[in-house]
Amino acid sequence: MTTKHGLITDSFKVVKKAKRRVKREKRPPSPAPHRVTETETVREEELHKLRQFDLDWTFGPCTGISRLQRWERAKLHGLSPLEEIRDLLLQTHTDPEYNLSLWREYPL
Amino acid sequence: MFSDMSAQKDGSSLLCRPSEDQGGPVFERMSLAYSPCSERYTVGERSFSRQYAHIYAARLMQMRPLLSERAQQKWGSDVLIRKLCDLQTGEQCCIVGTLFKRMELQPSILKEISEEHNLLPQPARAKLISETDELILEDELQRIKLEGKIDRDICVTGSVIAIYGAEKNDGKFTVEDFCMADLPPQTPRPALSSDRFVLLVSGLGLGSSHADSMLGLQLLVDMVTGQLGDQGEQSGAATISRVLLAGNLLSQSTQDSDAAKKPKYLTKKTQAGSVEAIRLLDELLLQLAASVPVDVMPGQYDPTNYTLPQQPLHRCMFPLSSVYPTLQLVSNPHQSIIDGVRFLGTSGQNVCDIQKYSSMDRHLEILENTLRLRHLAPTAPDTLGCFPFYQKDPFILEECPNVYFSGNAPTFESKLIKGPDGQEVLLVTIPDFSSTQTACLVNLRTLACEPVSFSAFSADDDEESDMNVSH
Repeated sequence: MTTKHGLITDSFKVVKKAKRRVKREKRPPSPAPHRVTETETVREEELHKLRQFDLDWTFGPCTGISRLQRWERAKLHGLSPLEEIRDLLLQTHTDPEYNLSLWREYPL
Repeated sequence: MFSDMSAQKDGSSLLCRPSEDQGGPVFERMSLAYSPCSERYTVGERSFSRQYAHIYAARLMQMRPLLSERAQQKWGSDVLIRKLCDLQTGEQCCIVGTLFKRMELQPSILKEISEEHNLLPQPARAKLISETDELILEDELQRIKLEGKIDRDICVTGSVIAIYGAEKNDGKFTVEDFCMADLPPQTPRPALSSDRFVLLVSGLGLGSSHADSMLGLQLLVDMVTGQLGDQGEQSGAATISRVLLAGNLLSQSTQDSDAAKKPKYLTKKTQAGSVEAIRLLDELLLQLAASVPVDVMPGQYDPTNYTLPQQPLHRCMFPLSSVYPTLQLVSNPHQSIIDGVRFLGTSGQNVCDIQKYSSMDRHLEILENTLRLRHLAPTAPDTLGCFPFYQKDPFILEECPNVYFSGNAPTFESKLIKGPDGQEVLLVTIPDFSSTQTACLVNLRTLACEPVSFSAFSADDDEESDMNVSH
């Protein structure tokens, strides 16, 4: 029994390692062309915060309405969303990546 | 009571010589302070690019604090209020959530498509409940099946309630007790010095193939405008200070889709049935509006949007009557304050829909239930068309009305109920005028309500050949 188990796991490990290696090789080239500048990281951080806001289930569903509308609804019902999110949204009111939720590309 | 007032003089003024002085007495109609407060039922931007998840989320957000408070009042302030995700098996606790009733018989377009191959045509049913229905409670994240002391057949999808009990090992929640949000707070109505009445009518049913109701309708208009009866009745009519038409002004038959089925070259010169009916309505409103303020709510069969809240009928459909400032085209549901008395109600779609999906039959019972749930139309958007709101659910009652009505009921019923905090609400189901020839009068001073029936000879009752107006 034990020997058989050992054999199977061994073979699995080999397969998985092989896949990971392939993935690792593929990944690095894609971020490379982006030059990581100061503004880029700030933007990335802001977008991360907004995505976290999208994923907070206490504020209700996020598809179909803008982030600001969702923030205002949460405020209206006394759920105290972060003021920071609102400031962020008011600053950048034209960029769809800021305005709309994570799933904006999906039809309904 | 209106009937006492109009019968105060015993019919003498008709059977005597006309008085010497010109014209006879003039009865001045009382005009009352009126403020419409239906802003919450107007839809500004008509965006349908949203899912209905928002309305349920907003409903639960709005109702949760109210129900938590009620739960603490009912089961003690130390009651454990849990979310479904924190639920422990066997622990006694309270959960606030939205009810969902899984119904075998509920029409579903997906089911129809998947069973298309061997589908038998289903008979039209009056009730869509069955023995296999299941009651489920949902909160923001999860759902749980309910059993125990909660009546499955009375509950409807979409109502937000608080339940008390414990989860059993099989994953179902055994309900020991439950509570609803109950009546919202009420502003007390002012004491009035004299009797004044508001006439509630619904279901005029103009444009139907059989014109039986037309004489009754004309009698109604003549009574309100003071062209009927003797001086006693005329002075009574002067105390009717407002008329509210609660939907279904046109008959269902004006919506015949015959024209849509026929090829176009055959129907080129035919006119939609609703055109003639609207013209009739315009003439009727002209007579009324010239004499008394009128509120016109649209209903299920009227030419406006189908989804609740229905927006007011457009002014351009009434070229004759819309010039009168007394004609108010309002939304459905409609809310207004007439002389300090808050009126709220619908044309009856919400009640009819609950009737289909629950075991309750009487419109009055359903009306009271929606008031206790603190929600005008719990079954919207599940089985009742509704605009996809996202910010807040406008059908949640924030202030308790003094008069709560629904139109197009099979019979007239009314009841005065008391709330836990001393609220006093008059419930009225306004009967369908075209089939019952009955309207109702609400006394603003006493909140008493009485039906007014108009019977005229019709094909059905040959023996009653003289027309009479009875109260």
